[in-house]
Amino acid sequence: MARAKLTTKKLAQRIDLGYFKHPHPFRRLRFILSVALPVIALLWLGWYALARNDRIYSGGRMSASHAVLSARCSTCHVAQAGAFSARASDQGCDTCHDAPVHHANQMFTPTCAACHTEHRGHPRLAVTADISCTECHANLHTSGAATHFVSDITRFNGGHPEFAALRPGSVDPGTIKLNHAIHLKHNLRGPNGPVQLDCDDCHRTVRPESRWRFGSSDAHDQPVNLNLRAIPPSMDAGRAYMSPVTYAKHCAACHGLQFDPRFQEGAPHDTPEVIRAFLVQKFQQYIPGHPAELRVTDLNRNLPQQPIPSAVRVLTEQQWVMLRVAESEELLYRKTCAQCHALLFVANAPWPIVAKSDITQRWFQHAVFNHDTHKLLKCVECHSGALTSQETADVLLPGIQTCEKCHRGGREAAESRCFECHTYHDWNREKGVKGSFPLSASSRDN
Amino acid sequence: MRIDRTHRAWLIASLIIFGVATAIYVVYAASSPAGPSGGSAIGLAFGIAGSLCMIFAGLLAARKKVPVWRLGRAQTWMRGHLWLGLLSLPLILFHGEFRFGGPLTSVLMVLLIVVVVSGIFGAALQHYMPPVMTTRIPMETIFEQIDRVRAQLLAEADEMVESACGPLNFQDTATATIATTDTLPLCNFYRRDVRPFLHRSRAQNPALSNRVKAAGIFEGLRTLLPATLHDIVKNLEDICEEERQLRRQTRYHHWLHGWLMLHVPLSLALLLLGCAHAIMALRY
Repeated sequence: MARAKLTTKKLAQRIDLGYFKHPHPFRRLRFILSVALPVIALLWLGWYALARNDRIYSGGRMSASHAVLSARCSTCHVAQAGAFSARASDQGCDTCHDAPVHHANQMFTPTCAACHTEHRGHPRLAVTADISCTECHANLHTSGAATHFVSDITRFNGGHPEFAALRPGSVDPGTIKLNHAIHLKHNLRGPNGPVQLDCDDCHRTVRPESRWRFGSSDAHDQPVNLNLRAIPPSMDAGRAYMSPVTYAKHCAACHGLQFDPRFQEGAPHDTPEVIRAFLVQKFQQYIPGHPAELRVTDLNRNLPQQPIPSAVRVLTEQQWVMLRVAESEELLYRKTCAQCHALLFVANAPWPIVAKSDITQRWFQHAVFNHDTHKLLKCVECHSGALTSQETADVLLPGIQTCEKCHRGGREAAESRCFECHTYHDWNREKGVKGSFPLSASSRDN
Repeated sequence: MRIDRTHRAWLIASLIIFGVATAIYVVYAASSPAGPSGGSAIGLAFGIAGSLCMIFAGLLAARKKVPVWRLGRAQTWMRGHLWLGLLSLPLILFHGEFRFGGPLTSVLMVLLIVVVVSGIFGAALQHYMPPVMTTRIPMETIFEQIDRVRAQLLAEADEMVESACGPLNFQDTATATIATTDTLPLCNFYRRDVRPFLHRSRAQNPALSNRVKAAGIFEGLRTLLPATLHDIVKNLEDICEEERQLRRQTRYHHWLHGWLMLHVPLSLALLLLGCAHAIMALRY
């Protein structure tokens, strides 16, 4: 019995012609899913709406510094009465931040968000794109008088001029006579024998544990007195910048200020007025205990072939003190002080005029540099000129090419974007901000 | 739908739009101090364009509900669905600056990617599988009627075997007629192998599931049976072949339409959440 041939008609007869009236489970499942998923989505939105929580509409994670406000959208997104929109504006930023203006003559003031974009994850908000700066500085124009700044800076590598302090004609304005080459010589005569000075013996950032090898015992670190322009509040200027070089901390152990063999103690490193008072006091205290020294022998040297007759004078204590003070000042001002200081002797003046030392504390007035973050490098890797410098006027800053060896851009190089050294805000003009957030700021409140 | 020369105009138009959008995005991203933003004018333009593409793609389902309306050819709608739906992904990526953003935008981005990828997968299947099915499943029937056809095949097979072996009463083997010596191999083979294979669509029978192995088994069966029963063996072999094809069709159908289980529901959720995103973006 052969099976009947399956003609088209026979095949058609197999089919229930009303099959489409009863959806196949496959289609039914698709329909159910097509309803269920949007409903789940609606429930999800509804859940947050009922909880009055708009976090799901966030554009992304908040920056690290604002992460605590992730649950408080209304802190920045201030809704105006009667308005649906609650966009974040500079007004919201100004509630907590006093970000001083960049420059009085700038052509325009961008909004905070133009440079500091929030909801982009955890990177620091201060990390801004170069274009935020080069938007103006690539072709700098000002609203006031012509600028004295370089007007075509496009980037650090290849688009940045040499540092101002190293441009032709720039010298170190300091007046202290210091020969770096001599101070770095081997077997330099030290207070207790030969020494080999290291950069670190004179140049260190301020650290609590700092003990200066060649300072006086009572020398203490002083706060770094810097022009704070362009130094962001978050930067520890004490660790970033070198402690100011002072006689007490760096010179006293080797360069004593002895003024008379009668005293072990040296003269104070201070103004001539103070030194004069010190000397007078010292000799006045000394002479009552040594009255024999009031007898002064004057030698007559007019007849070199004859035995020298001596004339003995007896001075008053006052005369003796004035004589000793004059001798001591002569020693100090003609030799000891003049070894380092530039002194101007004016006729009939009681003492010379000491030029202001004028040691530059901060070379980059419009940029920040952090020695602390560069401490792994040998000093002479950047300040190579120190090994041979003999003149105070030598500027020992490294050139921009030295910086570019590491700060050259790219993933395997140090940061080279503008913000690494420059800050937009003039932090010198920063006003205080009065804190207003309670500890519960991280709780949900939309 | 096969992706053939008729798609050329759509392909070129999509590539041009994609190229222009990419160029605009690159220039915009390079010139924005804080980087591109979905809330800027250009970012919003990308978002609106991408959303319109998605809405048009989504309207295909609505268009299918009213096939008699004169709203353009179904093929045109399908081509638009394919290419504009595909184009929506880069436009939305430009809008979102290639970031996932917050919770809602992350969900939206994931949904969009899954929808587009599943759509590409589905389009590839729709392109390659129909010819394969035509070749490999000549007995193809309407998918929804496969179970009905299989039941008919089983009934036909039962009837044929019973005509040779007598009533077999498959529900109660105790009362079944004892087959004669001639028909005993057929009866045993049918009861043991063929009928379970036809009866249960999920029944595994490695021998009958394979065309070559099945041919060998049926050939061996013929040697045990008188020539008068060879026609029945041939018919059973044909029925098993049809069963294999129906099983294959079921499998192919699941591939061919299974992706829609993901594509359609997620598309609807995407459009719904996209609306919520658009409204709340006006606020924040």
